[in-house]
Amino acid sequence: MFEIRDLTKHFRIGGTPLGGGHIVRAVDGVSFCVAEGETFALVGESGCGKTTIAKMVLMLERPTGGSILFEGQDLATMSGAQRKQYRRQVQTVFQDPYASLNPRLRVRTIIAEPIRAHSRPGAAALRRRVEQVLDVVGLPASAADLFPHEFSGGQRQRIAIARALALEPRCIVLDEPISALDVSIRAQILNLLADIQERFRLTYLIIAHDLALVEHFSTRVGVMYLGNMAETGPTEQVFSQPQHPYTQALLASVPRPDPDHKAPLDAIRGEIGSAVAPPPGCKFHPRCPRAFARCSAEVPAWRTLAADRAAACHLLETAA
Amino acid sequence: MAATEASPPQPLLRIDNLRTHLFLKRGVVHAVDGVNLHVDAGETLGLVGESGSGKSMTSLSILRLLPKHSGRIVEGQVWLDGTDLTTLSEEEMARDWRGRRVSMVSQDPMTSLNPVFSVGDQVGAPFRYHRLARGARAVREAAVKVLRRVRIPSPETRLDDYPHQFSGGMRQRVVAAMAIACAPKLLIADEPTSNLDVTIQVQMIELFRELQRDSNLGMILITHDLGVAASICRRVAVMYAGRIVEVGDVRTIYRAPAHPYTQALLASIPHLGQKRRRLQAIAGQPPSLIDPPVGCRFAARCPRRSARCATEYPPEIELASGHKVACWHPGPAS
Repeated sequence: MFEIRDLTKHFRIGGTPLGGGHIVRAVDGVSFCVAEGETFALVGESGCGKTTIAKMVLMLERPTGGSILFEGQDLATMSGAQRKQYRRQVQTVFQDPYASLNPRLRVRTIIAEPIRAHSRPGAAALRRRVEQVLDVVGLPASAADLFPHEFSGGQRQRIAIARALALEPRCIVLDEPISALDVSIRAQILNLLADIQERFRLTYLIIAHDLALVEHFSTRVGVMYLGNMAETGPTEQVFSQPQHPYTQALLASVPRPDPDHKAPLDAIRGEIGSAVAPPPGCKFHPRCPRAFARCSAEVPAWRTLAADRAAACHLLETAA
Repeated sequence: MAATEASPPQPLLRIDNLRTHLFLKRGVVHAVDGVNLHVDAGETLGLVGESGSGKSMTSLSILRLLPKHSGRIVEGQVWLDGTDLTTLSEEEMARDWRGRRVSMVSQDPMTSLNPVFSVGDQVGAPFRYHRLARGARAVREAAVKVLRRVRIPSPETRLDDYPHQFSGGMRQRVVAAMAIACAPKLLIADEPTSNLDVTIQVQMIELFRELQRDSNLGMILITHDLGVAASICRRVAVMYAGRIVEVGDVRTIYRAPAHPYTQALLASIPHLGQKRRRLQAIAGQPPSLIDPPVGCRFAARCPRRSARCATEYPPEIELASGHKVACWHPGPAS
């Protein structure tokens, strides 16, 4: 469905319109594909560029380089009509339902807004559609006449999901859809998202930092580090046999709800580098427990390891 | 009301029947509604619960840092080291206790550090305030020493830097340094790792373990993350809607929880390495604390509720040594 090729996004900070300042390499040559009906997860620490990719997929940011193909069509070369059609098919749910819903609008208006932007439905049809999607997300029709502040966090996220569903999209970009919610509410929303996906055959692109969630929820995963893809593959394989030292370290670092689990102490050192002046060679090498001379000199190539699995690490070449 | 003994209590901290209310325009919020707990020297107690369950209000009650006009401790005692903190004047509290014998690390190092003062100034402040170091030179030395304890690399050269020149993880270390500056007996850490990335989180967890080992510090770790609690705490107390519903040894709480809420919470989160088809969601949402239910607060969401649950709050019963639960129908998950 999506093919992302060598996608790059650089931001300039400081300087003047004529130049100067620093370049932030938020996304620095990332490639991956998302197949129809699957849930592709982008994971990584803050600042790794996962949200920037989501914004480019949603056409909220324009790539500096590379391309995003939607069913073979480059987003950058779409005509106005095609673009409108694309936006109809690709919707989004943001992280914080306290910020993503306009507090001055009634739920009915919030959900109807995308429908109105794309067509001119009659009042009765619009009402029906709003009540229909509210029902899908488990809210009563009476919710339509209330304002967002009259709902709890979990219910607000349901409203945000209803809005995303209003146009019968084929793909939804989920940017940390549960991390702003209470622990006891999260499972409700995750189960709802899973049900909706099955019912409407949706494709999900989910951005998350919670690895347990990603393992549970996604079918394929891309692990990002400082603007680059470190490893991609089917979630089950990546989580059971991580190949890249960063994926390994990340998985080892997750605190587990198990008092007998001992976290390894030497898995990872230091903190994520700067995207303004990334380390030379492999960007992960200053923190990598297995780094050797070549890692600081040469950028590791993106290597296909097996069907549908790839990683960028020098160690994997010597192993092969 | 719990017994008020004249003799000093055994544990480092003992909270008896604490009730803290917030008096707001829309009503009285029963934020903490009858909490009993204790912390021994050198142990970490995890206080686990959702937002709004009263865990932060419990810690602010201990420190007497409740919102000035709305928050008030209406009942109960907080015994620290043999003194009931609720009876002290604000002056005594500030001079001898807060920051001195009990201190706190809060969630967001960006807001707990002042951006216009250098890190050296801020880490030195507790030494100056509590007169533990005299003269600029001595304060500087003390600051360097405590920054070294929290493993800030080359602290001498970083004293004159400002908070924005530190990364998120390093800032949280600076906050931890300020908290342990006066060698407190009790440290309250309120979601100390929640804003940090996982790889930084492990480093912070390790730091807290080290600090505790080295100085016999009693610690309360407040978190909503069951993984974080499992990795540092010896005992865990689970809070729901202003009350503690279950407390016990960390293994008991994770392996054999007896309260339906604890069980539901553990079943509702995805566990790494154990992929399940579907998460067991907890229906509904926590009750309003302005007008809390008379019976068990979890009753409306509980799979095991009976008629009694809605009318009477269950008493706390001790199932095994140290394992207490407030439930009419405790027992293993069905």
